[in-house]
Amino acid sequence: MAGVIDDYVAALRRDLDFDPTLARRLADEVESQLWEAAEADLAGPSPEAERRAVARFGLAREVAAQFASDAIARQARRSCIMLAATVAVTFIAMRLRVIWLDDLGGSVSALAPLIDRYAFIAALLVGIVGWFAFRRSVLPLAVCRAGLAASIAAGIARAGLFVDGAPLHVLLPAAGEIALIGLLSWHVFGLHRRLRRTATLRRAG
Amino acid sequence: MLGMEAEMLKGHLDAIVLAALEAGPAHGYAIIETIKRNSTNTFDLPEGTVYPALHRLEAVGLLSSAWMTPPGGRRRRMYSLTKAGSAALADRRKAWGRFSQAVDALLGGGRAWPA
Repeated sequence: MAGVIDDYVAALRRDLDFDPTLARRLADEVESQLWEAAEADLAGPSPEAERRAVARFGLAREVAAQFASDAIARQARRSCIMLAATVAVTFIAMRLRVIWLDDLGGSVSALAPLIDRYAFIAALLVGIVGWFAFRRSVLPLAVCRAGLAASIAAGIARAGLFVDGAPLHVLLPAAGEIALIGLLSWHVFGLHRRLRRTATLRRAG
Repeated sequence: MLGMEAEMLKGHLDAIVLAALEAGPAHGYAIIETIKRNSTNTFDLPEGTVYPALHRLEAVGLLSSAWMTPPGGRRRRMYSLTKAGSAALADRRKAWGRFSQAVDALLGGGRAWPA
């Protein structure tokens, strides 16, 4: 039968499910500390000593909420770096595509150039405004990501890259922007998940 | 601990943790005991509050940590100050000295501030 400490560590692991690596590491560390505290209890090790050690440690969801807040700050920083890299690579890829298409004398679609350009500009504006106005919301970042994804998709459709046999200096940045938009999506999703988890933990606390 | 003291402590927890490790490497439980003892039980924190600070300080390179098993003892994660951590502690001490002097002057009512 699981004891008080085992139950507490299991609850902490559950509450830290937004970061499995952290959950594993912290569970080991906290378990070791709680056993040590229970063994150091003046009345000697007992289920009552375990309960006292757990009570002194604090509620699992409150500890997890503090970790979640730190994780949000880190994830937000990483997302912004990823966003800046995606914007830069998308811009470079767009310029190289335009130069290449001008040399060829056209593109495969009339609508795609407009989407390519204006989705990029809109994404950039939303990103800048969102950064200053809504630092605690993931929405501007998500809208910015969607704009960049639309711009990248339109740019690739515009060039018909993979059917027309584009040169390497056009293909490589295109591959880069696809990879970066994938990574950015993953980071934005991770940030959204952590924000939701923190809100849940704070409500429960 | 009173509500106001708890709030004030939150803002200084990282510096307090760095100071608790100044004497040498220690594990989480020992750090909490050091904080409690050195503050003459004024800062009797829920023990779990120190772990986010330890992980945060490690993430920014001010602390390092490693698992160790003392002879006949339980496996523990030991934290120690890095060079950057010692430098950060010295900076925070200076900043705290200036701040506390100013607050003392304002709240103490004895002398004008700034001097």
